[in-house]
Amino acid sequence: MSAVMEAAPAVVRTDTRGSVRAVLALARFEARRLLLNVPVVVAFVAYTGWIVWRTQQSWDGYPALQDADRATQGGPLLVGTAVMLCADFAVLRSRRHGTEGHFAVLVVAPWRRTVAHVLSVVPAAALTAVCVAGQFTWEALKPGAIGHGSPAELAVGPLTVLLLGAAGVLLARLAPSPVAAPLLAVCFLFTFVLGAFPAGGEGTAWLAPVVTEAGTDTLPSDLLGRPAAWHALYLAGLALCAAFLAVLAAGGRNVAVKAGVAVTLVLALVGAVGQAGEVSPEVTAARERFSVSPEKEQTCVERGRSTYCAFPEWTARTGTWAGVVDRVQSLAGGSARTQPLVVRQRIDARHGLDGDAALPPSAAAHQVTVGTSWGGNRVPEFSTAVAAVLVAGDEKASGAICDGRMVTLMWLSLSWQDDPLDALRRVRLDDSLSGSAVVLSPTDPLTMTEGQTDVVRRLLERADDDTAGKVKAHWAELTSPDVTTARAAQLLGVAGPRGADSCGE
Amino acid sequence: MTPTVSASGLSLHYGATRALDDVSLRLTPGVTGLLGPNGAGKTTLLRVLATAVPADRGAFTVLGHDPGSARGRQEVRRRLGYLPQTPGFHPDFTAFEFVDYVAILKELTDRGARHREVRRVLEEVDLGDVRGRRIKKLSGGMRQRVALAAALVGDPGFLVLDEPTVGLDPEQRMRFRELIARAGEGRTVLLSTHQTEDVAMLCHRVLVMASGAVRFDGTPAELTARAAGRVWSSTQRDPGAKAGWRTGTGTFRNVGEPPAGAELLEPTLQDGYLLTLDGAGATEVAA
Repeated sequence: MSAVMEAAPAVVRTDTRGSVRAVLALARFEARRLLLNVPVVVAFVAYTGWIVWRTQQSWDGYPALQDADRATQGGPLLVGTAVMLCADFAVLRSRRHGTEGHFAVLVVAPWRRTVAHVLSVVPAAALTAVCVAGQFTWEALKPGAIGHGSPAELAVGPLTVLLLGAAGVLLARLAPSPVAAPLLAVCFLFTFVLGAFPAGGEGTAWLAPVVTEAGTDTLPSDLLGRPAAWHALYLAGLALCAAFLAVLAAGGRNVAVKAGVAVTLVLALVGAVGQAGEVSPEVTAARERFSVSPEKEQTCVERGRSTYCAFPEWTARTGTWAGVVDRVQSLAGGSARTQPLVVRQRIDARHGLDGDAALPPSAAAHQVTVGTSWGGNRVPEFSTAVAAVLVAGDEKASGAICDGRMVTLMWLSLSWQDDPLDALRRVRLDDSLSGSAVVLSPTDPLTMTEGQTDVVRRLLERADDDTAGKVKAHWAELTSPDVTTARAAQLLGVAGPRGADSCGE
Repeated sequence: MTPTVSASGLSLHYGATRALDDVSLRLTPGVTGLLGPNGAGKTTLLRVLATAVPADRGAFTVLGHDPGSARGRQEVRRRLGYLPQTPGFHPDFTAFEFVDYVAILKELTDRGARHREVRRVLEEVDLGDVRGRRIKKLSGGMRQRVALAAALVGDPGFLVLDEPTVGLDPEQRMRFRELIARAGEGRTVLLSTHQTEDVAMLCHRVLVMASGAVRFDGTPAELTARAAGRVWSSTQRDPGAKAGWRTGTGTFRNVGEPPAGAELLEPTLQDGYLLTLDGAGATEVAA
């Protein structure tokens, strides 16, 4: 024995506040172990990797922040599940390794150790909050970002981690078996992640931590009608209730704990009831107004010859739309080259976020519809709508085009873009460069025949700039309803269609 | 000297089984040995004194605090170091983490002071070099020293050790004895053991228990003296002896009431212990 006996230091002895400090010290100890647990580390690495991967390409660089806040809610489910498993195992550690009897004669009582386990989940939730904030800030800093997020929606991710962590601790106290938490995780996966639970729109759907809707359309913030604040209250109440119940189950049967159970249960119930209500009449009325009479809700700005009318959150995007309109119009001939257009943003919000219906084409002359999304395929789709109105006069008429005008229309829409052939592929529903296809636009789609596709492809493949001059020179004939695809090809100097040239085929 | 532990009339029943029967004792600083056969009530007494289980009857104080009340129990626990008979470990913890964890459960809340204390007790049990090693990678002897370090952390005034040398090889047992001797300097240690050598080497006082009751309370020398004139040698097992066994020399060592003219031998602590038990448990301690 070579150790030198040192005098034992005067160890800090405790008063009644010592128990609180001991619980906090134990919580720090457990939190460190929890955060360094392999499943939690793997979950956080996967989660941050998912954030980086997703946010690099999300919304094609033009996010609406009222959508971006909800997009932060899915990833934390993975972290929460890992935290639930590890918190459960941490509580069961003493039981598993036979230290319960030993630790029972130490100063910190078992129920206080449970308090520490519950508190140990908080740093994982806080780290999730940092990830959520980072993801949302990244979206908000994109130059194309519009709208604004909801703090309540952003709180869902961290609250989910807190809830699942507290549930893990509670589960360990109620069912002290190492298989209980994995079973719960599997049930959780099937119920809330793989869709066994009712989808959004139904009141019971809001009992799940994360509620998603079927629709993909972006709506103005005021029309969302999601009970986000009630849901955050519900999650917070549920998480705290699980935490207090775990402490109660561990033997902490003092007045404060019992009162905590009661108060947090009331909070959870109030949140559950609040979130289960129907969409308010005010929101329903606003959805109707925005859908039927958008002009009453919009701000219009003049840019060049044209007018751009957008919902308040989208006014910053009118310049981007104007850039597309100017490029398309500069390629047109005749009066279309100087024709003032009205670009109007339109939505169908009557079914809320679950609606996914296509907008009907506008019959108003020289009015072009633009949606609430932008970037990626939305750019050639809008460009096609502008070209269609320049060629046919209005959107409704353009839907009936089944002749050589389609060649001019598609050339106007695509030839100015960086990679016209790629844009052609993306604007067609089947992503093809041959055969007949549906062409997407902000309203009802157009149709290209196989022959029109042949001619448009040849035009876009041709390297010379002579086509623009020919379009301007033959504008009247190229935009006449009588022009055939073969004649349009002839006027533009490319071979005529080899394939079928009838919209019926 | 003011006793560290003072108990009177402690009784505890497990159903119809009387685990403790009117036990009274006073423990003072130094190492006190607790001998007795299996089932004698040693572990039960230790668990009662460690506040793990309450006695049915009787009372005791530790350093002036009565564990009968919740507050008193907390005060006792703040001054207690306990090494259970089969200590559990968290195998994924390092030795430092495990002792640190126990230190927190003893309400050592100042992180810097606590870590210094953990390092000190690990040095004290010769584990300073392996404090960062996971417990699952430590030998049995090292784990037992981790448990001792956990009992020592916080400098408890009363240390309860329940058969700490069980399962250790002779070298490890020697090291452990040295550690216990050090631990007994300036504090009260109650050491439960089956090893009379442990008591002979370490203890200033010894208690012998059987059937839940204290049968002897005195110094090791007094226990040994009980066998004076009652140990003899013979060439055959003496049927009148309470216990007897063949020694390495081929002769029999007998304990009991010697026949006239018997060749008396120098008594040992074990002889006194066997006579105190009145033969009970002789086979367990026979060499």
